[in-house]
Formats: sequence, structure tokens, C-alpha cells
Amino acid sequence: MKHASFRAAATTALSLAVLGAVILLVLPKYWVFLITAVFIVGIALQSLGLVTGRTGMISLCQMSFAGVGAWVTGYLNLIGAPGGLAVWMLIGGLAAVPVGVAIGLPALRLRGINLAIVTLGFAAAFDTVLATITFPGQTSFTQVARPEAFDSDKGYFAFVLITYGIIAVVLEFVSRSRLGAAWLAVRHSERAAAANGISIPRAKLSAFAISAFISGVSGGLLAGYLGTLVSENFSMMQSLALFAVATMAGAHFTLGAIAGGMMIVLFPELLRRLNLPQDVGNVFFALGAVQALSTGETIAETWTRLARKLGPKRVMAAATSAGTLPEKTAHPGGIALEVRDLTVRYGSVTALDKVNLAVPAGAVVGLVGPNGAGKSTLVDAIAGFLFRYDGSILLNGKPLEGISATSRSKLGIRRTWQTTRIAPELRVGEYIRLAAGPISESELESLLAWFGCPGPDTPIATIDVGTRRLLDVAGAVASRAPVILLDEPAAGVSYDEAMKLGERIAAIPQTFGSAVLLIEHDMDLVRRACTAITVFDFGRVIAAGATAAVLDMPVVQKAYMGVEFEEAAE
Amino acid sequence: MDSLFTAAVAGLSAGGAYAILGVCAIFTYRLVAVVNFTGAAIGAAGTFAMVALFELGVPLLPAVLLGIAAGAAAGIAIGLVMTTWFAGSSASTKAAVTAALLVGIIAVGLRLTGGQHPHYFPEIIPGSAFRLAGVEVTWAAVTTLALSIAFTLLTEQFLARTRTGLQLRALSQRPMAAELIGIRVRLLALGVWAVTGGVTAFALMIIAPLRSPDFSSLSLLVVPALAAALIGAFSSFRAALIGGLMIGLLEGSVSAIGAVSQYRGAVPFLVILAVLLWSQRGARWDEAR
Repeated sequence: MKHASFRAAATTALSLAVLGAVILLVLPKYWVFLITAVFIVGIALQSLGLVTGRTGMISLCQMSFAGVGAWVTGYLNLIGAPGGLAVWMLIGGLAAVPVGVAIGLPALRLRGINLAIVTLGFAAAFDTVLATITFPGQTSFTQVARPEAFDSDKGYFAFVLITYGIIAVVLEFVSRSRLGAAWLAVRHSERAAAANGISIPRAKLSAFAISAFISGVSGGLLAGYLGTLVSENFSMMQSLALFAVATMAGAHFTLGAIAGGMMIVLFPELLRRLNLPQDVGNVFFALGAVQALSTGETIAETWTRLARKLGPKRVMAAATSAGTLPEKTAHPGGIALEVRDLTVRYGSVTALDKVNLAVPAGAVVGLVGPNGAGKSTLVDAIAGFLFRYDGSILLNGKPLEGISATSRSKLGIRRTWQTTRIAPELRVGEYIRLAAGPISESELESLLAWFGCPGPDTPIATIDVGTRRLLDVAGAVASRAPVILLDEPAAGVSYDEAMKLGERIAAIPQTFGSAVLLIEHDMDLVRRACTAITVFDFGRVIAAGATAAVLDMPVVQKAYMGVEFEEAAE
Repeated sequence: MDSLFTAAVAGLSAGGAYAILGVCAIFTYRLVAVVNFTGAAIGAAGTFAMVALFELGVPLLPAVLLGIAAGAAAGIAIGLVMTTWFAGSSASTKAAVTAALLVGIIAVGLRLTGGQHPHYFPEIIPGSAFRLAGVEVTWAAVTTLALSIAFTLLTEQFLARTRTGLQLRALSQRPMAAELIGIRVRLLALGVWAVTGGVTAFALMIIAPLRSPDFSSLSLLVVPALAAALIGAFSSFRAALIGGLMIGLLEGSVSAIGAVSQYRGAVPFLVILAVLLWSQRGARWDEAR
């Protein structure tokens, strides 16, 4: 994984260096000046790509953050603070962070749309404030001083390009780290992310803070580029246009950020040369964004897809066991998970009625029952996704009441979902690391091989649903949690694969040390995997005990078939 | 104190308009599941259509009616985009679409209306209605207030009592199921877009003379509108009505206090922040996610 990060970072850095050299050597001064703006806007676009493209939160005030950075830069310039532009713009970026966090905080736990509203409100408010307080030095026409070594237009281009390169390379690393995977996971499904032990507020706030910082830096660069600034540079319309372009181009990719920057800077230039009104650009951006949203594919993604089509086909190998799995994790013995008198009500409906259940350490316990019996509600309650329930749930004897889903997951309760919720933008290895935390390369390889999953570099988007279900289980197992809850892992999986999965599940305790609570409708799989089962009907436990004995009980057969056994025999 | 009261009353007509816009935002969100950032821009299109007709010499009443029709048409145009390509999209994608469309609409609007070029905005409802404690209350304020209250109550009753209202509620909660039982989903959705477009256009016509009436400022009235809708938690029309009026009054009061009058435009943002912090207290897992 680390190799891939380094390779991607090196590719980015190298191609930017080559691009910069070509531009500096070949193009006339006027074009170098214009292209400087492309990269400044590219930095702002990358900041927006981080929140919107990667984490899935709509931000409509990105240029306001840039405005904060620019204002601080201008102020430091005016008072002659030491360090020069490079230091000023970093301070400007840092100044934008608390603003970003303050705006992100109220929108954290509710739907993403609230963030769109609060950011638009901030952009409008910032417009008013900026129009009133004006930029430092605006009235005295004080120019923001560029760094001495980069004072000429060509020199400043190099300065901007270096800044762009540093940010792009750092983002490349971050996006491939666990934090980057967490952002994608949050965008795809907050519940699934929390089930993997990710703190949703932390993931969102970190994205927002980093994004505000980068945007603030771009504002500082713009201050050095233009010398003097006016509030229109950072108006709400600029933020909205930036959003449209980011959506169209795919600003969370380096390629998309540069393409977007070129559109914003060069399109008006083109229109000017054609004697067309320059605001046509915004209409074009709006239509492009709508088009990208309707196809679900940004320009950067389209180009990458086409390039991949032209290039040689890469066959993704299945995981081959490179090493052996580490010893199973030692968890406390006794009862790993205990549910006592659990009652859950949805309005007047009682979904679970005084349910008792125990999963001993090192066992695979089955939970069966017809649809609507309350099985998934039980999993939700244990994993911490229900707002309230009565009764208590204990992990290794310690009660879990009042503990969030994220914390329960970290304490050692992992769950899977009835439908797979893995973000398709991830790769297999990234997902396992997201679920498991830091694990070694050889452990990752052998774990994937043990489950018969594809290799760690395979994109999730290219693998079929059945294999993704397998990956769900592999992720939960890789975390080495004392308790794993599997919610119908074989749904949508062929019979042969289900049988194979059953053997794997049966072997989880002795191989990894985790206890398993398995919800399943496939009775062959249940017989194969479980040592004991509990049967639910209408929210109550109707039978519990050794697998074969319980499945033969008439009351269980009736719950499943809807007829008395004797009647059926007649 | 007296000047504060005057200013607050002056904010009343704006508040009425915000309330109407806020109710329209909830209407759109509840019935076609779109948080509509183009709401005020649609209304602005209708308002400027009225102004253009009036400048061409069309008498005021037909100009106003045609303007409302233009607002409805603009609403339908956005509705067509949403129902054609984004009927099955997530709420967040739909919001992103309208945010992106807003950029384009403002650009087109500014071009067609000549940017900051001043237009003559006729006062549709001129004059002073009565004096209250020595303060002039204009007919415009009275009308927007009455209109916002009437619109809120009518909307509630319409949804609760009529057959079309019932179908609309079915459409909003389970669009697929509504379609399967034979409700003409698309037609109804377009109807919602048309009504909100027309109503917004009329509300903006009344308050446009009180504003810096260029296309983009009117379009950006979507901010106080969404703030009002947030106060109603995107579900309660009455709360949005009260919220919109409060924002208007607050803005009016702020503009009367010398030291902070410049920052009047920040009022909706502060309201949004306060509402979100308050409504977040009991946040729980979102079903959809």
C-alpha cells in the first residue's frame, strides 16, 4: 500500500515538474501569467474536492475561506510581518481553519443538505462583512509583496506550482491513508462507517478543516498574484461557480482540479478573444455540472476511464497467500456477548420483547426466524444503532448502554449489513485496512487468501456483489473483534459459495479468536456453521439450544413453514 | 426605540416575502424532495418579466399576471430538469443540481436584464395602510403579511383536505408506489414547481422596489428563504411562516442600529447557525444512511 502511495505521489510530483518546466521554457510571459491563475484556482478546487467530492458534503462558501486567507495575508503584509508571503499564506490558511470548523460543527450530525444551506448563508454573510471592512491596504493601494526569489511573473508561477505540488502530493498520501478511506466511507454510508469504528464527526470535521486550510492558502496565493484585492474576488457567486466547476471536473482528482482551473481561467479568455460575453462561462459550468451529476461521472473520471481503455488491460489477480495468518487473538473466555431482557418498541409495535441471548467466547451462534421476527433490530441494538431500548447488552460482562456505535465498534463489536455498504471507490486492501486498522501486508494478503477474496489492489467497483459480501465478513474478521455480528452474509450468494462461506464462518473462532452471531435464512449454511441457535418469532425467543435439535422442534418448523408439522404430514 | 420600531416595521414586508419563500421551499422539499436553491431565482425571472413588460408599456395588472405566469414557466423548466434526469437521485444530489443551476440562471438573468443596469420597479401596491404608534405601515407590508399567512394556511388545508393534496402526499413519501397506483406523478410534480414559481414571483414583485433590485440580489434571497425553511425543520409551514417574519423583523431592527447596520446581510446566516445548533441536540441516525 505504501508503495502505491509513493508511486502515485512521485508520479504527481514528476509530471508537475515536467509540466512546469515546459510552460516556463516554451510559453510567452502573458500565458505564464494566465496559467499561474490556473494553478491557484486548482488549489481552491482541490480544497472543494476534499469536502464535496471525497466526503460528500456540499460546500458553497469555499471562496469565503479563500477570502479569510487572503485577508489575513493582506493584513500581515500591511503590518510588515516577518517571513514573507510563504509564511503569511500559511497563517492565512490556519486562520481559515477555525472558521471552517465553526461552520462545519452545526451541520455535523444531520443530513448533508444542511451544510449546503449553512455554507451558502456564510458566503452571503461574508460578502456583507467583506464589503464593509474591505481588504487591508485596499484603500491605500498597498501591493502584497511576493517572495523575493519569486518576484517576477515567471518566478511567481514557479512559487505557485511548487505550492500546488506540495498540496497535491500531501493529498495523495492522505487520500490513500485510513483517514482518506474514512472520508469515502462516510460519503457512501455513515452507518457503515460508524460500524467500522470511524468517528463520523471527526471524519467530517477533519475534511472540513483541511479543506478550509487549503482554500485559505489559495487565497493567500491570489493576494500575491493580484497584489491588491477587492471583495468581488471572493463573492458568493465565485463560490457557486467554483462548486459547479468542481462538480463538473471532479476536483478530488489532481487531473480534475487542473482541468477545472483551466476552465475557470482560460474559458473567459477564450470568450474574450471571440468577442463573446464572459458570463457565458457560468452558464456552461452550470450545464456541465448538471450533466456530470446526471451521469454520475466527472470529466476526470471520464478521461481516466478512456485512458484505461486505450492502455493495456490489467488483470486483477486473486489474493495468493504470501505468509501465514498470525495466531488467533486471545479474548477473555466465558460469555462474550450477553443480551438481557432486551425490549425494543417502534411506536406501538414491539419489535423485540424481553429477548435473552448469549454468545459464548469461541462459538458460532445462529439466530434464525422468519422475516420481521426482529433479527436485524437485535443487531442494530447490539451494535448501537438504536436510539433507545430497554434491557441491557453486555460485552465480556461490561454493559454497553450509553455507548455510541463508533465506540462499541472500537470496544469489539463488529457487524455486517444485509446489503453490502462498501464504498465502491475504495480498493480491497484499503477497505480491509479501514475496517481493521493497521495490519501488516502479509497478514492482509493471507486473510484475503483465506476468504478467497481478490487481491488488495482490486478496485471494489470491479468486483461482484457476492464477493463484496465476502469482503464484508473479511473486514469484520480482520478487526479481530471479540464479537462479530453477521447479518445474512449469504443473501444474494450462490448455493456453492454459501456452503464455502459456511465452512469459513465455522472456522472463524479457532482461526481468529472471535465469537460469531450469525443471522441467516439458509438452513444448510446454519447447520454447517453454528454450534447453537436461537429462534425468533414476532420479537420473542421461541427456541434455543443445539442446532440440530432446535431445527427439528415442531414450534420452529411451524414458525418457518406456517403449518403444524402433523398437518403437513397428513 | 422609536426608530427601532420603525425599522422593525419596515422589515415586516421583507419578512412576509421571506415567509412566502420559506413556505415554498418546504412545499418543494416535502412534495418533490428537492432542497431548491433556485427558488428565489425562479421568482426573480418572473419579476423581471413583469418589469420588462411594464417598461414596454403593458399596463400593470396584465404585466403582473404575465410575470406570475413567467415565474410558473421558469419553475416548470427547473421541474422538467429535475423530473427528467434526477427523479431517482438522492436528496443531496438534487440539492447539488439546483445549486449548480443557480450559477447558470444568475448568469443568464444578469445578461438579459443588463447586469446592474437600473430598472424601474413599479410599486404594485403603493401607499400607506395605516399608522401604528406613529409609524407608517405600508400596504406592501400588509399585503405580504396577509399573503404569507393565507398561503401558509391554504397550503396546509390543501394538503390535508383535497384529493390532489392526498395524491401529493403519496407522491412525496413513496414516488414509486404512487406511480404504480396510477397517480400521474410527473404532472403533479410539475404542478408543484409551477405553483411555487408563480407564488415566489409575486412575492418578489412586491418587495423588489425595497431592495437593490438586480437579478442576482433577488436570486440570493434564497438564503433567508432557506433559513425560514430550516426554522420549520423543512416540515412545518407555520414555523417557517413565523421564522420568515422574524428574520425580516430582525433584519429591520439590525439596520436601525448604527454600529451594526452594515452587517444586516449576516442575519440569515446567524439564524441558520442558531437553528442548526438547536435542532441538533437530539440528532440520531439518519434512516436513509
